[in-house]
Amino acid sequence: MDENALNEKKKEALRLGAGVMFLLAVFTLGEYWLGSVASVWYVPLLGIAVLKAFLVIRDYMHLPRLFAGDEEEHE
Amino acid sequence: MTTHVTTIADYRRKLSINRLGLWLFILSDAFVFGGLFVSRFYLLGTGVRPEVNQFLGFAVTAVLLTSSFFMNRAETAMVHGDRKLFLNSTLMTFLLGTLFLVGVVGLEWQIAPFGPGDDVVASLFYTMTGFHAFHVLTGVIFLAIVYRNGRKGLYTAERHWAVEACAVYWHFVDVVWIFFYPALYLIGKPLL
Repeated sequence: MDENALNEKKKEALRLGAGVMFLLAVFTLGEYWLGSVASVWYVPLLGIAVLKAFLVIRDYMHLPRLFAGDEEEHE
Repeated sequence: MTTHVTTIADYRRKLSINRLGLWLFILSDAFVFGGLFVSRFYLLGTGVRPEVNQFLGFAVTAVLLTSSFFMNRAETAMVHGDRKLFLNSTLMTFLLGTLFLVGVVGLEWQIAPFGPGDDVVASLFYTMTGFHAFHVLTGVIFLAIVYRNGRKGLYTAERHWAVEACAVYWHFVDVVWIFFYPALYLIGKPLL
């Protein structure tokens, strides 16, 4: 792979990481606000936690890598 | 040349086995954390929570999530052979992880108006945060080792299993806190 294509791939991966971080920040702020005004609403609070965990497991922990074949390239 | 190709193929095969092993370890560890999480709701229900500082909880959560962002950057950088970005991001993750520990153990534990043996609520709070903090401490040590080895140039874009393992472990610790944060700091009214 030539250097330009590699750089482009790196930038794309870094952008994805930043996008996930942005979503995590928005969800956490929403969670904090909801917890301060309606702490008995545990279902939406746990729902937000599930969403955040899903993002981290899929995009940061790269769970799909586990199911990739031996010969597949590292993402 | 043939030897090199065989070595890479062997490495990839080992990599997939290593990944499976790591995820099995994470799954088994998740059951322990899951047990603590369920205990919190079984013993306290959804109406009460420990009397803790909500803003401090928010702050340490923000610190841990940001550390995960930097860990992801570090791994991405290593995958693409950018050693400088890898080292800087690993160092940032290490510092933020340490800051999280200071926030929970050094601050929250000191200002909490209850001790570990006071009652069920207190006991749950210290067990959950303590068990998690121990995992963060382990992750911080892992990060320090990865940083040191990275400085020595032991990782390449093709071979960096330790970096990947460290990243997955670190994000797992983050995922646990994602569930502990609302359970301890947000759901229910403080038990006075």
